[in-house]
Amino acid sequence: MISIVSDEEGTMANASAWLARLQRDDVSEADAIEFETWLAESSANVGAYRRALALWHEYEAAAEAVLVELAAANRPARAVARPGLSRRWLVGGGGFAVAAGLAIAVMPSLLAVPTIQSYATGKGQHQRITLADGSVVDLDAETKLSVSFSRSARRVTLADGEAIFDVAHDAGRPFTVAASNHVVRVVGTQFDVRNRHDGLSVTVARGKVDVRPAKAAASGRAFLLTAGQRLEIDRTGLERLSAVDPQETFSWRSGRLVYRAEPLANVVADLNRQFVEQIEVSDPELGRTPVTGVIVLDDQASVVARLSLMLPIRSIPSGEKLLLLRK
Amino acid sequence: MAPAGSTEQAGEHGPLLDALIEKRESLLLFLASRTRCMATAEDLIQDLYIKVAAVDAGADVRAPVAMLYRMAANLMVDHVRSTQRASRRNGQWRMDTHATVGGEDVAGEPAADEVLVAKERVHLLAEAVAALPPKMGQAFRLHKLEGQSQADTARAMGVSVKMVEKHIQAAIANLAQRLRT
Repeated sequence: MISIVSDEEGTMANASAWLARLQRDDVSEADAIEFETWLAESSANVGAYRRALALWHEYEAAAEAVLVELAAANRPARAVARPGLSRRWLVGGGGFAVAAGLAIAVMPSLLAVPTIQSYATGKGQHQRITLADGSVVDLDAETKLSVSFSRSARRVTLADGEAIFDVAHDAGRPFTVAASNHVVRVVGTQFDVRNRHDGLSVTVARGKVDVRPAKAAASGRAFLLTAGQRLEIDRTGLERLSAVDPQETFSWRSGRLVYRAEPLANVVADLNRQFVEQIEVSDPELGRTPVTGVIVLDDQASVVARLSLMLPIRSIPSGEKLLLLRK
Repeated sequence: MAPAGSTEQAGEHGPLLDALIEKRESLLLFLASRTRCMATAEDLIQDLYIKVAAVDAGADVRAPVAMLYRMAANLMVDHVRSTQRASRRNGQWRMDTHATVGGEDVAGEPAADEVLVAKERVHLLAEAVAALPPKMGQAFRLHKLEGQSQADTARAMGVSVKMVEKHIQAAIANLAQRLRT
C-alpha cells in the first residue's frame, strides 16, 4: 500500500483500523488471516499495533474512572438553558403548537454524585429527551428529573412530576427510576411514572416493571407490574392496584388528558401545569365534582369553554386568575 | 511451558503446533484485541496449545495456518460471549439481590483482574477523549468506555455499524497521537 503521510503516522492509522475492525461483533477467521498478513509485513506494524493495543487496554482498565472524570468536566458547560433543544409538540385536535419555543432549563446537579444530568420543565412545557442508551423520556409540565448512567447501571430520579419512559433493552445495565420512597426497576419496557403531591403512580404499557421501597427497612411491599396495570401509592402509603388502559395515561404526551370520575380539583391541578394562566376552584364541594371525558389541550379558553359544557360551571376572571363557579 | 525450546524434532510436533510456535506473537496480538489485558490473551494462547495438542498429530492438515486462525477466531468469539454472559449474569444478580439505598445500587466489587490506573493518568486519558470531535468521542465513549457492542453503539447514535467502526478507528489514531509519550 502506498502512503503519502509520514510512515509512522500511516502505520498507526493502519494499526487503528485493524484494532477497530477486530472489534466487529462477527469477527471471523478471514479477518484473523488478513490481520496476520498485515502484521507480518513489517516489524513497524507489530510495534504500532502493540502501542494501539496498550492504549486500548489502558482505557479498558480505567473506563469507569474516565467516565466519572468526563462527567465532572462536562458539568459547568451544561449549566446553561438551551432553547435550541426545546421541542414543539402539536396537540391532538386543533393542531395548535402549545409549547412552541420552550426552553428547558438544564440545571447543574446539586448532588456530588458522579455523572448527573438534570432536566426541568415549567408550566405548559413538554420535553422529549433521548438518553445515551437510546431510551426516550417524555417529560410532562412541571417535572424535575435527573439521569445518571454508568457502565453497570442506568439511574433516573424523578424528583417531581410525570414522565413516560420508553426504555431501550440492556439486560446488563438495569434501568431504575427512583421516585418518592420507591424504586421502579425495568429491563426494557414502556411505562409512566407520576410523582406529584398526591402520591406516586406507575402505569405500564409494555413489559414488566418492579416497584419496591427504596430502603429495605422502609414500609411498603414490592410489586411486579405487567402491561395494563397501574399501581398508586398515596402519601400515607396506601397502595391500590388497578387494571387500566395505558394509552389513557399516556395521552398527555399527545396533548390530551383522559379522566374517569376524577374530582374537578385534580383536573384543574393538571390544567394549571399545562397553562401559564391559573384556574381556581374556591368552592370545595365543586372541587369534588367528578369529571369524565377527554380534554384536548389546545388553549385555555377553549378548554374552559368545553369544561363548562360538561359540568354545571361558569368562569369569571379574577385578578390574574380564572375563577370557576357553580352555574 | 512453551514447547518452543523442546529438543524434539520439529517434524514430530505436527504442522499445527509448528504453525502455532511460528505465529505465536501475531496470534497473541489477535486475541488481545478482544481481551481486557495481555495476561488474559496469554491464557487464551495456553488454551490454544491444549486444543492443538488434542488434534491428532497424524491428521492431514493441509493449511495449518488457516486452521490455526480458525481455532483462534472461535476461541476469541467464545471468550467474548462468555464475558458478555458473565456481565449479564452479574446484572441479573444485581437485580435480584442488590439492596438499593436511596435509589442507588450498592456498587459492586471491582473485578479481580481490574488494573488500577493512576489518577493523573486517568485525567490525561479523559482529557484526550474530551478533545475528540463530538461524534468520534460519542462512539468511543459508548463502545469502549460503556462497553456496548458496535451494533448497539450504532443504534444509540443512529448511524451505520460501518460508521461506528470508522469513528473508533479515528479515535484510536487520534488518542494514540495525543497521548504519545
